[in-house]
Amino acid sequence: MKRTAPTSTMSRRRAVAIIAAASAAWMPGLGYADRPRRFEWRGTVMGADARMLLYHRDIAVAETAIAEAVAEIARLEAEFSLFRTDSALSRLNRTGFLDAPSHDMARLLGDCRWLGDLTNGIFDITVQPLWNLMVGHFARHPGDTKGPPATAIARARARIDYRAVDIAPGRIALAPGMAVTLNGIAQGYITDRVADLLRARGWHNVLIDLGELRAIDSHPDGRPWRITFDGADGNPAVIDVVDRAVATSAGGATRFDAAGRYHHLFDPRDGANRNHFRSVTVEAATAELADAMSTAFAAAAPDEIVPMARRASVDRVWTVGRDGYATQIFG
Amino acid sequence: MISTSFAIRLGIISALLCAGFSFAAPVGAAEIEPAEARFPNALVETAFPGAARTDVISGSPPAAAAYRDERLAGYVFSTRAVGRSVGFSGNPIDIVAGIDLSGRVTGAFLRRHNEPILVIGIADTRLRSYVQSFAGLDIRTNRLAETAPGKKGVPDAISGASISSAVIFDAILTSARSVARSRGIIGTSRGGRLNREAYAPAGWSDLVADGSLIFKKITADALADGAAIRVEGAVASLYVGLATPRRIGENLLGQAEYQRLTASIGANDNTIFIAGTGLWSFKGTLYARTGVFDRIQILQGERTIRLLREHYRNVERLAADGAPEFREAGLFTLPADSGFDPLKPWRLSLLIDIGTARPSAVDVSYALPDFYRLPAAADTARSAPTASADGQPLWQRIWVERTGRIAILSAMLLILSGILVFQSALVRRYRLYRAVRLAFLGATLLWLGWYAGAQLSVVNVLTFAHSLLTNFHWEFFLVDPLIFILWSYVAMTLLFWGRGVFCGWLCPFGALQELINETARKLRVPQLRVPFGLHERLWPIKYILFLGLFALSLHSMTNVIFGAEVEPFKTAITLKFMRTWPFVLYAVALLLAGLFIERFFCRYLCPLGAALAIPARLRMFEWLKRRHQCGSECNICAQRCTVQAIHPDGSINPNECIHCLNCQTLYVDDKTCPPLVMRRRRREARLALSAGGDGLPADRSTPA
Repeated sequence: MKRTAPTSTMSRRRAVAIIAAASAAWMPGLGYADRPRRFEWRGTVMGADARMLLYHRDIAVAETAIAEAVAEIARLEAEFSLFRTDSALSRLNRTGFLDAPSHDMARLLGDCRWLGDLTNGIFDITVQPLWNLMVGHFARHPGDTKGPPATAIARARARIDYRAVDIAPGRIALAPGMAVTLNGIAQGYITDRVADLLRARGWHNVLIDLGELRAIDSHPDGRPWRITFDGADGNPAVIDVVDRAVATSAGGATRFDAAGRYHHLFDPRDGANRNHFRSVTVEAATAELADAMSTAFAAAAPDEIVPMARRASVDRVWTVGRDGYATQIFG
Repeated sequence: MISTSFAIRLGIISALLCAGFSFAAPVGAAEIEPAEARFPNALVETAFPGAARTDVISGSPPAAAAYRDERLAGYVFSTRAVGRSVGFSGNPIDIVAGIDLSGRVTGAFLRRHNEPILVIGIADTRLRSYVQSFAGLDIRTNRLAETAPGKKGVPDAISGASISSAVIFDAILTSARSVARSRGIIGTSRGGRLNREAYAPAGWSDLVADGSLIFKKITADALADGAAIRVEGAVASLYVGLATPRRIGENLLGQAEYQRLTASIGANDNTIFIAGTGLWSFKGTLYARTGVFDRIQILQGERTIRLLREHYRNVERLAADGAPEFREAGLFTLPADSGFDPLKPWRLSLLIDIGTARPSAVDVSYALPDFYRLPAAADTARSAPTASADGQPLWQRIWVERTGRIAILSAMLLILSGILVFQSALVRRYRLYRAVRLAFLGATLLWLGWYAGAQLSVVNVLTFAHSLLTNFHWEFFLVDPLIFILWSYVAMTLLFWGRGVFCGWLCPFGALQELINETARKLRVPQLRVPFGLHERLWPIKYILFLGLFALSLHSMTNVIFGAEVEPFKTAITLKFMRTWPFVLYAVALLLAGLFIERFFCRYLCPLGAALAIPARLRMFEWLKRRHQCGSECNICAQRCTVQAIHPDGSINPNECIHCLNCQTLYVDDKTCPPLVMRRRRREARLALSAGGDGLPADRSTPA
């Protein structure tokens, strides 16, 4: 699973980058009133760097929208953040239940269950025991190449099952000893909610990058957004994106062992790291789906990816091999 | 032959008049599109030229997104739906306009109006072209775009229709700004407070059309995995709104229920109204056990607000006219400590779980329409120096702009008051009196009438009565400062001296007739004297005309405007004869009649004079002096009275008198007034006798 422990230092991959077109900046002399200016917000969301790009003629309008988006982010961090002990998710993990959950919590946990089914259990939000096992094992045996023993993995797996999260109306409950993390998917969910909010306020031509990336419509010049993702040095893969979300999962970002063979993108079904690809990039209608599916694909066997992508209705999938070259394998 | 062609012409004229008339007539009450409807393509072509298509009307304030090349280009809206625009007549005025993403008006089309000043003929087309001239207006600066060749500054107001012009300007600008603000085209004004108290009756469709209530229809397609479930029609149809402002709450619930609600909540609490039909219930059943509604939550800023059973109140019956039947309707109170701010946009979050693999959340976005926002005291103080900016009511701006005219009119009224108060001194100096009267009439005609366009009309009276009966707003009448000041003065003088002060001194058309007749007399045009018996029987015509117009006004203000053409004021004064010839012909015919019978129109036809004569019975002063000989021994005043307002019995008929003071100059003229002549003769004879040394007793008889 792609995830980060609350206590670990944040080394979240920044494989996805934005080619911010300098040409889009305000050009004096071409009619100031007609030419939108570029506004950029930078901050931290769920512990990761985040930014938003908006284009507008009026600074007051852009500031209003950014303030609204930031408030929405804060509202959702109060639900999902494991960095905050007072968040709804921290309370759920601490007490094992949550009464009168927010709609966002009920909806995201419902989505996670659906995504778990869709990925045959590769996407699992209750993966914490296996994670703890991995971190603990490599802390004790830094040079180990074989990973934890199979019996330990089996013991940890017994406490993992996303289907054991009980999402009843008005109350969410966990099985004893179970904990939930949403660090992998919450960024995507928040990205979508911010996008929905801005769209409802009449915004177009916005790029939101809260760890996962989402474009609202096209670039203000009318061309697609140009997005680069992980690739060989000096050879970044460039894709054109209009009104879609893009997420990349790369195993090298959070390693357990020094060699990088064991990392956070493991398959919770057997605890194995597959390491077929350096990274997987997914384009989908929502950041939440792109986020979850890129995570699942990075841990899945290669022949599972295309059927899963079809079931989940994602748009395109690219893999970057060990050689650093990108291949589109779906869409 | 002649009569045939005349008949044909008459037919053409009446056809033209009818055509012009029907053009201006209201299309019917239901002509504002409800939410989820579309503007007709023909309208969009004018309001948003080049738009390939528009969406359905939605949101708050309601507007339809317009697209060019499949890219959002702006919004089309109705000023009536957005800002409840009301014309000078007190009746709705509706302009469909567009605004692009840079904050410029793309086009505007006058869809409905009832403006009394210009309705038919050229005037109507001028009003329409005035509305269309707003294309290119930048709503930030109130200026036309400099790119438009030869157009700069603001659209020129229509001469003679300053009020309607101002109303139109205000309707377009205010609505466009409201749409632009809500759609993020221009920045939002911060601060202010909720107008909880203001009330005006509004039906269900009004509340929906102006964005006080938001409608949201949720279909299966909008839900996650929605395709997997089969639902006929909507999963749910909801109406959502803030019930705290009296205009929304009282119209929805009725007065008694709203008062009960207000009494039960704190001063800073708010109440939200939700009503729904469909398969899905927003209440569910779980709240009965847990005390918390699980399917609905309020989202605002950083807050996720739960709705509690203890703050819920069921709505059994809706009082609003035209309210549909609902499966469930209720009020949810949000205590002040929930942090809810009614002025900021909020969302109602709906968690819908109807047999799909996972629950869906749907948001209903709500933004309180701007007219429920009162500016904070600090805001008005800050914006005062920039008078033309947001926030200042239209009428205040106009009063500030017209201080010069207001000063001149005030001076005129002061002089006139002086004339009336010191009339007994003035009438003793006949030459001075004539000079003052002619100068004043000249000023009334040239400055007040032709320059300033301040001609009172019977339409004013009927508009006032109409607005008292329907929906009274001082603002309508304050919008034209000169008319307002004149009416205030006329109302006052009506109580002191009767209708004559206006008719004889302040009516520009009256002044025009009198000055023309004056010239005619100088040129020795013979004057016709109407036999008193006939004269008396012609008086009622004007009362009948007025009562007819009044009756008509109860039926339709549009028809009144047409009927009020019996007044030649608009033709002769407001539009200075720049009008189609049937109107000009009518006005000239009346002036020609006035050459032979002074103030022919005033005497027999003027409905405004009739309207003023009725309350003139209440007058307090009788300053026009009479002698007991008047009527019995002498009829000179009656003969000389320019409007034949003096009965053969010597009494002055206050309903007909124009207070010109002519009879008063005769009253003190010892060369004309027989009692004074006799007295003078006796005195002269006595002086002659005493000069001859023979004494006679002094004459003891004194005038009554």
